Amino acid sequence: MRQVPALPVVASFAERLLALDLPDLPTGHRREAVEFVARRVDGLPSFTSFGVIVLGSVFRTLLALPGGWTAARIVMRLPLPLVAEYPRLIRSLSFAYIWEHWPHTSPTGAQPAEAAA
Amino acid sequence: MTAQPATASMHADVLIIGSGAGGATTATVLAEAGLDVLVVEEGDWVEQGSVVPFSLDQMDRQYRAGGVTVALGLPSIAYTEGRCAGGGTEVNSGLYWRPPGDVLERWRDQFRIHDFDPHDLLAIAAEVEQEISVGPVPGPYSEPSEVLRRGADALGWRNGEIPRWMTYPKGAPATAGQRQSMTRTYLPRAMRAGARIATGCRVDRLEAQGGKAVRAVTTLADGSPGTITFRHVFVCGGAIQSPALLQRSGIRGHIGRSLAVHPTVKLAARFPDPINVPDDVPVHQVKEFAPHLSFGGSASNPGLVALNLLDQWPTFKQAVTDWQHISVYYAAITSEGRGRVFSVPRLRDPIVTYGLTGRDRELLRSGLGRLTLLMLEAGALEVFPSFKGAPIVRNRKDVATMQRSFAATKASVMTVHLCSTVPMGEDPARCGADSFGRVHGQSNVYVNDASLLPTAPGVNPQASVMAFAIRNARHFVASGGKRA
Repeated sequence: MRQVPALPVVASFAERLLALDLPDLPTGHRREAVEFVARRVDGLPSFTSFGVIVLGSVFRTLLALPGGWTAARIVMRLPLPLVAEYPRLIRSLSFAYIWEHWPHTSPTGAQPAEAAA
Repeated sequence: MTAQPATASMHADVLIIGSGAGGATTATVLAEAGLDVLVVEEGDWVEQGSVVPFSLDQMDRQYRAGGVTVALGLPSIAYTEGRCAGGGTEVNSGLYWRPPGDVLERWRDQFRIHDFDPHDLLAIAAEVEQEISVGPVPGPYSEPSEVLRRGADALGWRNGEIPRWMTYPKGAPATAGQRQSMTRTYLPRAMRAGARIATGCRVDRLEAQGGKAVRAVTTLADGSPGTITFRHVFVCGGAIQSPALLQRSGIRGHIGRSLAVHPTVKLAARFPDPINVPDDVPVHQVKEFAPHLSFGGSASNPGLVALNLLDQWPTFKQAVTDWQHISVYYAAITSEGRGRVFSVPRLRDPIVTYGLTGRDRELLRSGLGRLTLLMLEAGALEVFPSFKGAPIVRNRKDVATMQRSFAATKASVMTVHLCSTVPMGEDPARCGADSFGRVHGQSNVYVNDASLLPTAPGVNPQASVMAFAIRNARHFVASGGKRA
């Protein structure tokens, strides 16, 4: 099965999720975290990777529509096991990356110097 | 002493696929008996000390798929597999549990394992303990470990230190142990006896000729193809990869149908004083409710603390600033559920599923409740259970509220103990391999890893895996494998 590169598929959705959870995370950190998420998705076992790419494509399409982000947030709240696991995967990977690399990140994503400013 | 990269064309009398607890011990026994042994490993040989334990870097280099693997179900269960020389022994907690005697007797009787005396297996376990330096930590316990002891003692619950396969530099603290994993013990011993170890070699399938497996079709690290010819093959890739390889090779029978795991749910607990140890795990476990339910401590670096607060981020997020005061703990159950491993044509990796039973879900709920109580008794200021909609627990009254709002489908359930996908025994209807690991219906294909354990043992399975692997390898030698 031919592998589809994850970055274009997951990037916009992951950026939105991080902006929601960690609005003050510096842009560079956010980009780095998203790239890490994409690398991990690229390395997922084939079936999981396929599922993530499909779900990612659905969310990506949704985000491209007017009001898409609102719709995506509604979909994420639905008790749909596989659909709910996609945002959980993206958030888990990015949170693990952010706090491992910048352990003093604040709950809003601000870095120590910015938080003090 | 280290391994060599695999080449496109190799041969061995005995090919061993996988270099973890099962493969390394098998290689040692067979090489020391004078057999021509080749061990192939899909991952790299990573020297200890070159990666930070429990870090993302370690997951990249030593875990399959960067540690992001999941058994589909309601809920899905995240699991991890080692993918490096030494396999899971390089990356796990290093805690050692002998297989319980009553479990061994049950396995023997229910799965009809012939010529199996549990006392003999425990004698092998004693040899293993010597080889890998199993023992208690010197000096004081780490603070996260003391939390488990203190909380359990306050509640009158049975608890104790679990010995580890570690050695400790003189005068070093309990957190400075050096893991006596396979790359430090059995693999060098096998190489000294003449075994060859080749890394960067994935076995895609086994091919047969005249009713016998004769050749392994491989993919090398650079993506190029290869083959290995052999007279006997031991499949030791672990409870997911071993059945998947057998299925890809067209081998049928009870293969991959009875995956057993110890599902766990977690919480993060915040204490008044700094407690966090980023690169080690507690050595205490609480066994008051064993074998059904056990409590222990998890890796707790800042990334993993954040991960454990994630399910209820809007209400838990403030705690992340205090990660130095936080440690992560788990409640593990002995599940009555079952999973499956399926290989699908044209897919490189298998699909894994797991279904929890109603009893499992209730056990996870009560386990999380009891673990929360233990944390409060140990002095936790706040407890953050890892499930969607969880409240912050600050007192006993909150525990009841938390338990009412728990549902397994809302929790981040995970496991690191995977077994039973090719159970051993003489009943082909429920066993994939015979009493010594030879795959039913095959004359020269053996499995010798966690897949063989008939059920989840209720404790860390690595000691059981090593003891069974040595037993089976010795039987192979004694029954003429050398001459075949």
